[in-house]
This record gives sequence, structure tokens and C-alpha cells, in this order.
Amino acid sequence: MGTQLYNIGITGLNAAQAGLITTGHNISNASTPGFSRQQVILGTNDPQLTGSGFLGQGARVETVRRVYSQFLTAQVMEAQTQNAEYASYSDQISALDNLLADQEAGLSPAMSDFFDAIQSVSSSPTSLASRQSVISSAQAMTTRFNTLGQRLDQVSASLNGQISGAVTEINQLVSQIATYNDQIAVAQSTTGSTRLANDTLDARDKLITQLNEVVRVTQLAQSDGSINLFIGNGQPLVVGGSSFNLTATPSLEDPSRTEVTYTAPGGAVLRLQEDTITGGKLGGLLAFRRDTLDNAQNALGRVAIGFAEQFNAQHKLGQDLNGAAGTNFFNVLAGKALPSALNSTVAAAQVNVTISNSSDLTTSDYRLTYDGTTYTLTRQSDNVSWSAATLGGLPPAGSPQGFTLDSGSTTLAAGDAFLIQPTRSGSIDLRTVLTDPRMLAMAMPVATSATLANTGTGAISAGSVTSTTGLPLAGNITLTFDATNNVFNVTGGPGGTLAFNPTTDSGGVSYTLAGQGGFTFQMSGTPRNGDSFVIKANASGQGDNRNLLALAALQDKKTLAGGATGFQGAYAQMVAEIGAKAREVKVNQTAQGVLLSRVTESQQSLSGVNLDEEAANLLRYQQAYQAAGKMIELASRLFDTLLNIGG
Amino acid sequence: MRISTNTIYDAGTSGLVRQSSDLFRTQQQLSTGKRVLAPSDDPVASATALEIDQIKAINDQQAVNRRDATSAIGFAESQISTAGDLLASIRERIIQAGNGAMSDTDLKSIATDIRGSFSGLMGVANSRDAFGDYLFSGYRSNTQPFAGSIEAGVTYAGDDGQREAQVGSSRRLPISDPGSDVFMRMRTGNGQFTMAPNAANTGSAVSDLGSVTDGVAWNAASNGGSYKVVFNVTNNVTTYDIVDNTSGNSLLTGAAPGAAPYPRTYVDGDSITLASQGAEPAFDLGARFSITGKPATGDSFSLDRSATQSVFETIGDVVKALEAGTNGNPAAIARLNNALSAGLGNIDQAQEALLTVRSRMGARASELQALDALGSDVDLQFQTQLSQLRDVDYTSAISRLTQQQTYLQAAQQSFLKVSGLSLFNFIGG
Repeated sequence: MGTQLYNIGITGLNAAQAGLITTGHNISNASTPGFSRQQVILGTNDPQLTGSGFLGQGARVETVRRVYSQFLTAQVMEAQTQNAEYASYSDQISALDNLLADQEAGLSPAMSDFFDAIQSVSSSPTSLASRQSVISSAQAMTTRFNTLGQRLDQVSASLNGQISGAVTEINQLVSQIATYNDQIAVAQSTTGSTRLANDTLDARDKLITQLNEVVRVTQLAQSDGSINLFIGNGQPLVVGGSSFNLTATPSLEDPSRTEVTYTAPGGAVLRLQEDTITGGKLGGLLAFRRDTLDNAQNALGRVAIGFAEQFNAQHKLGQDLNGAAGTNFFNVLAGKALPSALNSTVAAAQVNVTISNSSDLTTSDYRLTYDGTTYTLTRQSDNVSWSAATLGGLPPAGSPQGFTLDSGSTTLAAGDAFLIQPTRSGSIDLRTVLTDPRMLAMAMPVATSATLANTGTGAISAGSVTSTTGLPLAGNITLTFDATNNVFNVTGGPGGTLAFNPTTDSGGVSYTLAGQGGFTFQMSGTPRNGDSFVIKANASGQGDNRNLLALAALQDKKTLAGGATGFQGAYAQMVAEIGAKAREVKVNQTAQGVLLSRVTESQQSLSGVNLDEEAANLLRYQQAYQAAGKMIELASRLFDTLLNIGG
Repeated sequence: MRISTNTIYDAGTSGLVRQSSDLFRTQQQLSTGKRVLAPSDDPVASATALEIDQIKAINDQQAVNRRDATSAIGFAESQISTAGDLLASIRERIIQAGNGAMSDTDLKSIATDIRGSFSGLMGVANSRDAFGDYLFSGYRSNTQPFAGSIEAGVTYAGDDGQREAQVGSSRRLPISDPGSDVFMRMRTGNGQFTMAPNAANTGSAVSDLGSVTDGVAWNAASNGGSYKVVFNVTNNVTTYDIVDNTSGNSLLTGAAPGAAPYPRTYVDGDSITLASQGAEPAFDLGARFSITGKPATGDSFSLDRSATQSVFETIGDVVKALEAGTNGNPAAIARLNNALSAGLGNIDQAQEALLTVRSRMGARASELQALDALGSDVDLQFQTQLSQLRDVDYTSAISRLTQQQTYLQAAQQSFLKVSGLSLFNFIGG
């Protein structure tokens, strides 16, 4: 009996000791990330069958298990990956947001200054100083366009670096997870599924959580204790003890853009479809580039291209201080077509993107493919596509996109593909090419006058030209009034007659001479028979500011997006879009942060260490230990009693 | 619910971080005075503010345009007012010359005086603005608009261009007037028709300017308005006929002018109406004039629709007539008086034309003032709107700052209390 008592006492001591050790382990790891508190599970030893029934044989430690819920941990990981995505999106977009926030550094003041300078010339069209200030402020404005464009480009370049960094991080994490998978499988094969390697499991969970902070992965638990991880459309990253790598490589279509590719188990390299990579830092970076940065670059480029094209067109209608026709004020901007790296190197086809009408431009990129017979152009913003048998037939006349395509002297090979970026680089490429203030075309090349000897009250307006056709005028055009027939007889120019009935038309009638610069003018009043008016080249018209007024009017003219908005409006729209997106991401991030702390609380509520609880356990196991010790002492004393009987 | 010790610390610190970032934001709003620190704070307000910024900038620039326009118009007006003064002095001289008691020497000295005014007027017409641009040359601001002399005549080298300025969002206002309008296109005579003596007249008859009594009738004149009145003196009775220059027929008989004496009898100083009297064929041209003095047989005056003539030519005609002198010859005196009468009429027309230009300028200046008042009203509205969109409301921001400060302090203190509680404090010892 004495021995039995000793043995039971020792099982109690052992059990209490295990409890103390585990409590100590919990206390030590109270702040270890990913640690789940552990509990000692005790059981009774097999009882001894005696004649009077079963006699208990003490306690034994069944197992030490971690308090853990697969469900709660998965929730935390999901919240974590979403939160990390918003956080990285938010970091990136707030850089843009702050860049555009500065009222002085933005584009608006530079555009306003430019138009102010133009208006200032209106009172003194011959003043070279005023004219020089137009050129200077144009240069300041183009520099501002360039700087903003370059800043966006830098953001894009830094994204490439960050994407590569994220990919390296993913590769390190998956190889560590695979190693843990191996260890766990080995441990479980020896201990069985009831005695788990708690701390190794926690460590692996922690790594998976970290991986989820970089990119969202799906988990699949295996019966041997290992966990398989998948990314994107189900490409395996970890299978048991083996891992597969991602690579960050320049895109085949646009080498300036880093893409994520996947090396499959067979060694084949696969391009991961970008929008299937979600969650985590990487998901945030890719989404930012796709949804915000590309758009911002294109929108800014469109403002620049529209500005240059519209301003040049009006400027070319004018006449400069030397009496010559206006030239381009800004450089002529063209879109870009990037050949795919897979294109035939034999054909080495090149595609030119010429801007034909900036008001039809969208902010989307396009993809051009050729299958040997048909060219297909796909607008990437909404995947609308058009096909044509010739490259010149794209985009079709019925759906103008503001640009035309040609392949110059080269020919596309079947299977060639191009990424068409009509507006991407507009803002960076914009330059002021006019440098001579005398060459500012502020006048119009055609002027009107009434013959001094006229005796009626007929008047001709100053008029304006609307095209360069037939300019400079070949000779004077004289309109002589014939009161009998109520017409102006036209000599020179188009000839013929222009009907004008003073009784009904004295309020003013407009005429356009299509072949003479589309010159549009108005006749009014009551001319007397024989009164004449002359339309002629605006010789020595240095003081004329008609074209200046037309140029200044471009400031708030709705010339972009099919006439829906102006330069300033398009820029404001871009600022608003980025601002709204930044706000949306911030709001989402806050909400996700709250969700994350809620699920983390739930998870911690189950698995986290509470030091008060552990303190209580410490006392409990201490007392159990002391009690077991007392029992051994008692057994010893009982034994002494027996011995004393003999003595 | 079970709370893990980590949660107590995590929740505590994240609360503190949030409170202090709120506090920092409010402080930033207060120190910058801006409610919207980045477009994301209020995307709609930022975009609207950008648009209003532009409209406001345009409005500001138009205010500058108005200021420039006002000074340009003011300068041109002062030049035209000088021209008006010169014309007035010439007019006085002409009246002085016409008082009848002048010797040729006196006339010459008056002519010299008028020549001085002529030069002055040329100076005004060729004046330049602050940028060295000619005021009255239309678009050709680098071309001297007027050149020539009394003898050679004055030509206009400018054009009809009129510079405009954008002075309102939908208003372009002319800020210059071409010299052709100001100095060249002057009506002659009374503005409707001119009376001119035949150069070969030998009598002492002098015509006045005449006048149109019925504009509709005058404008309807079938031959475009070209007549002459022919005189005959037989037995000391002076008679006259009125001839249509186009058909060559007499208005008074309807047939070719017959032999003298003519149908109507001339009375010195009586008005001659271009309308049928008594048994004459019906006609009414709505015009009349009067002739004083004694016409000789064969003397005639032509009556033609007004043409245009430059103010310089008008002055030149007067000067030439004055300088030709009379030498006491009655026919020459009549020629001079006829020339002075016509000159006076032309000068009056020129003055009226200048007045028209000046009143146009005045109207523009007052429109500019009205637009200015409107512009500054609008500017104030834009400022208010921008301020509402972007600026911080100090009262609410300061009260929010105090509130957030209190929250932060409460969070700090409660965190210290909660984190200080531990069972380990009571174990052992």
C-alpha cells in the first residue's frame, strides 16, 4: 500500500510540474506574436482492480495542446490581407493626393498664368515685352506639365521596385513555410495526430499570416499536418515540403512595367493575370497602378495633348508680327505603340499613333493585335473592340478615339501585338517650340474695310478665319452693292453674288468664304447702291488682336472628352478622381482596421495569454504540487508507523 | 469574455494613436487655416474649388483688361478732344474770314493760322500710345496713318481694324477707333447734299448749305440726287430753272430746259424749294436752299448728294480759297464766300463726327465702369465660395481641438490605470 501511495503522489507531482512548466511557457510567450496559449490535459491512470472494486492509480499528462481555432485564425488572416492591401494602396495614393493638393504646385495656376499673359498682350499687341511674357509663361506651364508627368513616372518606377521587393519576400516566406511543413509532417508521423508540435504550428501560422500581409493566399490543410498554399487562379506556391517561386519581370508589352510571373512545377513560366493577384501589399500596389496611376497619367497626358493641339490649331490660323502665318506654338504630340516582346523580329513592325482629334481622346490604353488577316483594336478600359482588314480602318470612323494608326513602311506579321498608349506620355513630352516673340500669331491674316467714299450706312465686320485653305489671299475681294437686285457683286475670290436685302438684313447677315480661309464676316446696315467693301490680306496688321482673343477664349472652351469639359475641367476631374479614390481607400482602410481589431480580439480572446489567469494557474499548480508532496510525506509517515510497530 | 493581456495593450495603444492623429489633424487645420488639406479630404470641394479658381482668375484678368481698356479709351478720347478744340478754332477763323471786310493780307494771315491748326490736327491724328503704337491706324499700329500736306492732299495708310478687349465673360469691347472712321469719313455739305457754285460763275450769288425738309422724299429722289439750278437775267429780272443732271430735263417743265427766261423768278435770299409750285409737273424732293446776291446770266449751282471727304481736305479747301484772295473782285468774293460757307458746313460735319466718336467712347467707358462693379461683386462671391469650400471654421475647429485634447488625456490616464492592474502585484513578497 505504501508504494502505491508513493506512486500516486509522484503522478500528482509530475502533473503539477507539467502544469507549472506550461504556465511558465505561457507567461514567457505572453507577447510572442502568433503564440497560442497552451494547456496541459490531464487524465487518470488505469485503475487497479481489487476485490473491492477499482482503486485509482493517480493522474497522468495526456497531452499539451494549444488553445486554437482554425476558423478564427483564418478570419484574422483574411482581415489582415485586406487591411494590408488598403494600407499599401493608401500609402501610394496619398503621395499623389498630396502632390495635387498644393495649390501653388498644381497645374491650374500655371495654366491661368499662361492665359493671363496672353490677355495682357491684347492691349499692346506690338509690345515685345508682353509677347515675351507669353512665351515665358508657356515655358513655365510646359515645365509644370513635365514635372507632374515625371513625378507620376517616378511613382510608377518606384512601384516596380516595390513589386520586386514584395515578390522576394513572398519567395522567402514560402520556402520557410515549406520547411515547417516538412518538420510538422515528420513530427506528426512519430507522435500521431493527438500530440501536436504546438510551437511549430504557431510559427508556421505566423509565417502564413505574414505571407497574407504581402499577398492573399488560399490554404488547404493536408492529413499529414502540412498546409498547401495557392495564389491567383490556383497556382500552387507550397505543396507539402516543396515551394514554387514567383518572379518579377519586365512586362512583355511594356518593358517599363514590372509584372509578376510564376514558375510552374514543370518549370514553365506563366504570366499571372494581374487582377487575380489580390490582397496584401502586392495586391494594393497592383490595384493602385491599374486603377489610379495609369488613369492619372493618361488623364494628365490628355490635357497636355488637347492643350497643344487646340492651341496650335488656333495659332496656325493667325498671323505673326512679321506678317507670316502662325506656326506651331507647342510641339506636335504623338501617342506611343509598344511592340510586344513576342512580336516577329523578322518583320520588326512599327506602329505610329497620330493624334487626329484631341476632343475624341479617352484616357484608356488600347491593345492592337493582328492575326494575319484581321487587325483588332481593344480598348482596355471597357474591353470594347473593333476589327478591320486594314490598319488604317482602326479605330473605325464611326467610333473615333482621337487617333489614327499606321505602320509606316513596315508590315505587321501574324501574331504581332502592340500596346497603344495614345496619351500616356503627353504630359512629359510637351514642349514650347515657339521662342521668337515676334512669331506669336496674334493677328488674323484677313482684314476688311469699307471704301472711304461709301455714302450708305452699310458696315462690314472684322470677321475671322476658320481654316488655312486658300490663305494667304490671292488678291483683294471686293463686294459692291447693287441696290436694284439687292446683292453684293463679288469681284475676286469666289466671285458671284451675296444676297443682301437692306430692308430685312440691316441687322446683320453672316457670310463664309469657304475657299478663302473659311473667312466668316457679317454685313449690316443699309449700303447705298455702288458702296463697296474690301476683304484683303491683313498687311502690316501688327495691332490686330483678333487671333489673340480667339486663343484666350480657349481657356474655358469645352474642347475635351467630346466637348464635355475644358482643360481646367479635365484636370479638376483628375484631381477629384484621385481625391475620391484616396478617400474611399482611407475609409475602407479605417473600416477594415476596425474589423481586423475585432477579429484579432476574438482570436486573442481564445488563444491569447491572460497574465492574471496564468498567475492564478501558477498558484493552482503550486498548491497541487505542494499537496502531492504532502501526500508523499504522509506515505512516508505511514510507512514509519508500520516500522515502529516492529520496533 | 476572456481578454488577453496583449489585447489590453494593443487596444490601448491603438486608441491613443488614433486620438493623437485626430488631434494633430485639427491642429494642422488650425495652423494652415484650411479645412481641406488634401483633395481626398473632400474631393468634390477640391474639384469645385479648382474650377472656381479658374473662373476667378479669368474674372481677375478681365478686371485687368478693363483697366487697360479704360486707359486706352481715355487716352484716345483726350486726343479726339484736342482735335475737337482745333476744329473749333478753325471754325472761328472761317467765320472771322467771312465777315466781308477782310483784305487779302488779312485772309492770308487767317490762312496761316488755319495751316497751324492743320499741322496740329495731323499731329493728333498721328499720335502714339505708351507702347509707341499709332492710335488711329487701325490694325497697322506700326504704320504712320496720315501723311501729306494741304497742297498734295492727305492719304490714310491705316486700315479699318478696330482692336477689341475681352472685358466680360461674354463681352468684347472695341478699345480703338481707326483713323478712317475718326478723320476720313466726313459727310460733305449739310450731311445730305452739297451746294457748289459753278467755277465759271460771274455773279455775286452765294449759296447757303441748304437743308432737307423731308428725308423720305429726298432719299427717294429718282436720279440719286443730282441737280443744278441755272440763272438768267433778262431786263433786270432774274429767273431760274432746276435741271435734273441725269435726264437733262427741267424739273419745272418736265422737258429739256427751254430758252430764257426760266419758269421761276429769283428773289434775293428767298428759299428755293425742290418741290412743284403752281402748274409745274408734280415733284417733291423734300429739300430747299437759298441763294443770296446777284447771279449773272448763265451762273449755276449744282446740288449733289453728300459724298465723303476727309477733315484734312475740308481744311485744305478753306485754306486754298483764303490764300487765293479776292483782289476786290465781286465774283471772287462770291467764290470765297461760297467756299467758306461750304467749308463751315464741312467743319460742322467733322465736329459732329468727332462728337459721335467721343460719345461712343464715353459709352464704352461707362460700360466698363458698370462691368467693373459687376466684376468686383462676382469676385467677392467667388472668394466667399472658395472660403466656404476650403477654409476652416475656427470656432468649431478650436472647440474640436479642446474636445480631442480631453479625449486623449482620458485615454492616457485610463490606459495607465488598466495596465497597472496585475495579479502578480500580489503574489510573493
